[in-house]
Amino acid sequence: MIRIPLIAYACFCTVATLNAVEISKSLIRIEATSQEPNYKTPWSPGDVSSGVGAGFVVDGKRIMTNAHVVSNARFLSISKEGDPNPYLAKILHIAHDCDLALLSVEDPAFFKGTSPLEFGGVPELASVVSAYGYPLGGTRLSVTRGIVSRIDFQPYSHSGMDSHLAIQIDAAINPGNSGGPVMQNGKVVGVAFQGYSGDIAQNVGYMIPTPVIQRFLTDVKDGHYDQYVDLALTYRNLFNPASRQALGLKDETTGVQVCSVYSGGAAYGIVKPGDVILKIDGHTVSSDGTIPLEDEAVPLDEVVERKFKGEKVQLDILREGKPITLTVPLNEPWPFKLHSNLYDEKPRFVVAGGLVFQPVDQNFMRAHEPSNQRLNYIFDYFINDELHTNRPEIVVLSNILPDPVNAYAEEFRYSVVDEVNGHSIKRIEDIATAFDEQTDYYVIKFAGGGRPIVLERKAIEEARPRIRGRYGVTSEKNLEK
Amino acid sequence: MKSIYHLRAVWIALIFVLAIESAPANDNPTVTASASKFLLRVNSTSQFYDFFRPWIKKPPFSRRGIGALIDGGRILVTADLIANSTFIELENPASTQKSTATVELVDYDCNLAVLRPADPAFLSGMQPIALDGPLKVGDQATILQLEPNGDIAQTLGRITSISVGSYPSDLRDLLLFKLVVPLQQRDGSFTLPAVRDDRLIGMLMRYDARNQSADIVPTAVIRHFLAELDSPTYQGFARLGMAFAPLRDPQLRRYIGLKEPGGIYVTGITPRGSADIAGIKKGDVILAMDGISIDQDGNYEDPDYGRIPFSHLTNTIKHPGTVLPFKILRNGQTLEIPVTMQVANDEQAISKTHLFDEAPKYVILGGLVFIELSRPYLKEWGNKWASSAPQRLVYYDAFQNELPADRGRIVILSQVLPTPDTIGYEDLENIVVTRVNGHPIKSLTDLSEAAKKPVDGFQKIEFEEDPKFVFLDAASIQSNAENLKKHYALPSLERL
Repeated sequence: MIRIPLIAYACFCTVATLNAVEISKSLIRIEATSQEPNYKTPWSPGDVSSGVGAGFVVDGKRIMTNAHVVSNARFLSISKEGDPNPYLAKILHIAHDCDLALLSVEDPAFFKGTSPLEFGGVPELASVVSAYGYPLGGTRLSVTRGIVSRIDFQPYSHSGMDSHLAIQIDAAINPGNSGGPVMQNGKVVGVAFQGYSGDIAQNVGYMIPTPVIQRFLTDVKDGHYDQYVDLALTYRNLFNPASRQALGLKDETTGVQVCSVYSGGAAYGIVKPGDVILKIDGHTVSSDGTIPLEDEAVPLDEVVERKFKGEKVQLDILREGKPITLTVPLNEPWPFKLHSNLYDEKPRFVVAGGLVFQPVDQNFMRAHEPSNQRLNYIFDYFINDELHTNRPEIVVLSNILPDPVNAYAEEFRYSVVDEVNGHSIKRIEDIATAFDEQTDYYVIKFAGGGRPIVLERKAIEEARPRIRGRYGVTSEKNLEK
Repeated sequence: MKSIYHLRAVWIALIFVLAIESAPANDNPTVTASASKFLLRVNSTSQFYDFFRPWIKKPPFSRRGIGALIDGGRILVTADLIANSTFIELENPASTQKSTATVELVDYDCNLAVLRPADPAFLSGMQPIALDGPLKVGDQATILQLEPNGDIAQTLGRITSISVGSYPSDLRDLLLFKLVVPLQQRDGSFTLPAVRDDRLIGMLMRYDARNQSADIVPTAVIRHFLAELDSPTYQGFARLGMAFAPLRDPQLRRYIGLKEPGGIYVTGITPRGSADIAGIKKGDVILAMDGISIDQDGNYEDPDYGRIPFSHLTNTIKHPGTVLPFKILRNGQTLEIPVTMQVANDEQAISKTHLFDEAPKYVILGGLVFIELSRPYLKEWGNKWASSAPQRLVYYDAFQNELPADRGRIVILSQVLPTPDTIGYEDLENIVVTRVNGHPIKSLTDLSEAAKKPVDGFQKIEFEEDPKFVFLDAASIQSNAENLKKHYALPSLERL
């Protein structure tokens, strides 16, 4: 399944309090010039590209749009309907985990004639909505109309790792609709953000519903976005009568089995694998993991979704047949960013003797697509198999810039570095530290044994100007995100 | 198209072929009519097991190759041709007379097998072919095929490389000839004899039509196989059980204090293999074996074939049981370690590389299907199995030498046949079992035994991954067992 973020915009309106002309006064066309870091040549500044998305004016002289419209942006130029002038905008807050962002405009004159749009609730199934935006990059506003097809938890493709409530609509929304408001009765009921490419599914578009939007707006009230908090555990249905009986459940419909509780997460040390969650904040958990909330059966995660850093959640648990009540303080977001797409980050790296060392993350894997079995396993199972307890970061030899000093290193590409001169490598910083040491030989050992790479300091120093000149290596390390 | 391909090819052997004149059309057959009396068609019907559903076999298929009659009334073919065979038939090309055959011995390591006809009289009037000696790169050889009418088709080719290369069994590197020869596909198999001057130089086992390149099992390997066959117990080919890296990098050589030329760096030791038992360790540098020095790429000077990898010496020239003194540099000290060459015991492997002529084991408990991890199981994911099969299983198979020595087999819940007992478990697949009813699981036999001891009426099955554990109702799965068999047409609920 490929969900594509929609760099564009969508909107629609029923015959209601605000008509399309009025709404259009609050619509913003956003042209973003962004620079994607290059994880294959991490010292280079990266390619520049531009895209068009939509946004709309909200309370407080702010503009709401999708995070993916303005990610990695170097320059944001915005315009509004009926005003030919472009204005400069800046990112005020950006939430990659729910694909929302708020922009500010330097010129206060920009907001003259605009009025902030108000938010509505969750629209009913089959009710009509209108999407506003600039699909396919045009300069004139487009409005499409459709109905609410489904309300469900969906993966948000921008981060690739987060799932939140999302609403599926059948209004035509396309790249350029991203960030645009979806309206009902003159109120914003969602922000258009992703869809399928036409060869996978037709008339399926998704919008971010107002519970997610409101949570974002509340989170940033203190001037800082804290991210979603997370229990960092996995659970599973308890349909099986034998499992229910063995775990001591007396009825036939409640409870889910806790499978893994990840170290570093909020529930670690409080909830245990094998616990049965019976209730969350007093809501009874069905054996499929849903709770009744506002007349809908939603995943129990929704309770935590609506909370903020510093709040608590109460769990009624059956542990070894005995009921207990646990309180989990929600201080941590999902502890691992390894598998998330990352934005507005500089690639970190160290170059020594033409060997390029980089920490592995999703951005790295997407750029390199290494076919190294050991690395693929470590990356895929880093969290599930708790490999992070040994190495908080996976550091690999990502590239070899050929030079006599490293003539015999090619076979080690994408090998995971274990040690340099006896110092175990747990982070990219450890590589920099190890190569700062003054020693005759640098001995690099890799996961799985094999032979070491040995580089002589003299040879590295002789090679330095050659490699810098020949490969345009403008900097030999960056340790800052 | 062909010339473009040649331009792009970086294959040394091919460049070599272009450098010499292409072989002239062969006007003079190198095999005389009388000498062709060693050829036999071999029709083999095979049926492979379906590792996804280990209780059934895949549809049967037939292949046809050509066997060579050798001394002792034996018919030499590749092991590939008769792998998982259900029926083997021999056909005399001249008389078209047929006979069924039995396998006297098959060794998938060296990809060779010898057959015998059910009726010894079937071979009367035929003449065995003798084995030729060593060949050199550039020598010509003829590949023999049979026309439908029994005539012999001869195609001349030239040896382009002689080295140690991988055999189809996946775990074997043995001496291999590469021959460039334009062959037609005639019989659905490239098991064909290669001859020179009325003598057998090897058996063709693989053919790459794009490059017109044939892989040949040479007589050096065949002789070893036959010598083992004539010994009181067949042991096959010894294996050192050691991975190494070349020692070309002068910086590394200076760092480890290696003054003399040559030497290879030991990077991995197979547990319980010959090198492990002898006490060779990771990080050792092997300078020589049996007084013969090993160069920095792991080659030695072979009197017959020139510079080829040392494994030819340890695996093929020497027979299992031979003691070879290894000259080793360890921590700056030179020492001599005697290594007794031994055959690898694949039975001890954590994940077996191949499973021919052997039904895969399984246990079905209430509808949960358990198997042992093996390479053939992973290969069911198709050509790209290494990237498309579950990565944890691929990792366990690829790096099994790094797992604890007492790890035992990797038992997997491979799939669920939904039954009333498995409600809620339908989506579970390819997860590794750690314990059943509290007993650690290191084989399917362990699992079968542990399942006989339910706790409080439940079968508790624990996994490495989510969901971490599930329960089954022991009494219920027992009473539903017959239904399960009937419903899914299972011949048996376990095969150990």
